[in-house]
Amino acid sequence: MGARLVVASHWVLHKDEQGKPRAILEINNDITERKQMEDRLTRLATAVEQSGDSIIITDPAGNIQYVNPAFEQTTGYSSAEVIGQNPRILKGGQASPEYYKHLWETITRGEQWQGHFTNRKRDGTLFEGEVTISPVRDGAGKIVSYVAVERDVTERRRAEAEVRRLNEELEQRVVERTAQLEAANKELEAFSYSVSHDLRAPLRHINGFSQALLEDYADKLDEAGKGYLQEVRSASQEMAQLIDDLLQLARVTRSEMRSEVVNLSELAHAVVAALQAREPERTVTIKIEEGLVTHGDKRLLQVLLGNLLGNAWKFTAKRAQAEISFGQERQDGQSVFYVRDNGAGFDMAYVNKLFGAFQRLHSPREFEGTGIGLATVQRITNRHGGHVWAEGKIQEGATFFFSFANFKEAEDGEQSDLTRGR
Amino acid sequence: MENKVILLVEDNARDEALTLRALKKSNIVNDVIVARDGVEALDYLFGTGAHAGRDLGVMPQMILLDLKLPKVDGLQVLQKIRADERTKRLPVVIFTSSSEEEDLIKSYNLGANSYVRKPVDFEQFLEATRQLGLYWLVLNQVAPND
Repeated sequence: MGARLVVASHWVLHKDEQGKPRAILEINNDITERKQMEDRLTRLATAVEQSGDSIIITDPAGNIQYVNPAFEQTTGYSSAEVIGQNPRILKGGQASPEYYKHLWETITRGEQWQGHFTNRKRDGTLFEGEVTISPVRDGAGKIVSYVAVERDVTERRRAEAEVRRLNEELEQRVVERTAQLEAANKELEAFSYSVSHDLRAPLRHINGFSQALLEDYADKLDEAGKGYLQEVRSASQEMAQLIDDLLQLARVTRSEMRSEVVNLSELAHAVVAALQAREPERTVTIKIEEGLVTHGDKRLLQVLLGNLLGNAWKFTAKRAQAEISFGQERQDGQSVFYVRDNGAGFDMAYVNKLFGAFQRLHSPREFEGTGIGLATVQRITNRHGGHVWAEGKIQEGATFFFSFANFKEAEDGEQSDLTRGR
Repeated sequence: MENKVILLVEDNARDEALTLRALKKSNIVNDVIVARDGVEALDYLFGTGAHAGRDLGVMPQMILLDLKLPKVDGLQVLQKIRADERTKRLPVVIFTSSSEEEDLIKSYNLGANSYVRKPVDFEQFLEATRQLGLYWLVLNQVAPND
């Protein structure tokens, strides 16, 4: 079978002089191509008619020849009202003459122009449009019309402006809140400063004059009297320690954080060396895993290890074979650090009290302390986006775990984090 | 032996008494000039006010300077000491209650030679004083007078 053709048929009747029909002439024209062309035009016309964007077609002089229904809907002008008019009837009066000049120069050169207009509807309200204007050329290359496609972006712009406004508001609020925080911090700093200076002085005097009494009036005091004075001196020292610990706790909270790669093993060695120097008579087996690094504030991490290792040191004091280890292990796919000792340990029933300020699980008679160290440790891990927890058993020792969840491990991406930290 | 003077700048009478006691107990027999605020300290150093006409040829071998002082505080005194030709090379030891970081940094920035926190425990206080005396009055050599 051959291909199907679309034909246009014309029949012509031939008559003789008397008017009698003599012949019928049938002329068949193959119009397949024309039919296809028409179909295509219908499709394109439908697309233009159905488009949600306004479409305007003008002649080369800029007079409107056609507008689609979306145009009518957006602008409120009917097709009949605008045909033959210049699109300037839509001008919102916000763009500069230069803007239009540039537009005309571009499209008369035969190039496409893209831009933005604030246009005025028939009822006078304004709308925001994103416009693309393209020249249409005939076969000879002459510009015969311009097609403008305009999308109403009023809603989008409004939404964007709203987002911007909310952002600015949020930023403003952050600025205000930051100022408040800074003021509070300043106050805390002034308070700490005053405590640091003024609270210690009377303690020094109590201690000093008690000692003076002990020295200068030794012959007038019996043993009980001397003992009382010694208690006065110890009490003043304890309070001084308490003040120092509180100041450190406050400092840990307010100090600025600096992030860098910190070798925890090295810090641990330094802490242990200082503990050993203070009590050279003690024999403690120390195991420190080498090469443990993390990202964080070195000074704060030093305080953290100082507290944890200091605790381990203190609570193993009554062990003949004291053991303290610092290392790293994996728990639930996460690597955590730990400080473990075989000292006095604690009752897990009270584990929740461990990290509260002034909470102590041992009486001062057993082990001295202010109960601020672990609260300080917890603040430090918090500030590093991590946490600290503990396991223990009475008389069998304690293990303190800590991790810095939000700080990338140094092994992956040490380079990038290093630069970030500076 | 030339008279090596110590200038003690201390507003608190109890601290003054304890410091003098500690110096005596450390067998430091040098004359101690006590200034009870920053103005008095500067008057002594520059021969003004109550110390007008004093022999400026005698300058302290060591200045023990408290930070929290009435009128002119310790850091301002230090600043004035370092700014003046006659006193800029004098050894200044900050001897104070606090070990606040900002105090340490400011003190060293202004040219303090040393920073010692007064210990609460008197035995440690005594030891600190003894070591300061030994170092700044015996071991250390001051710059010659111009």
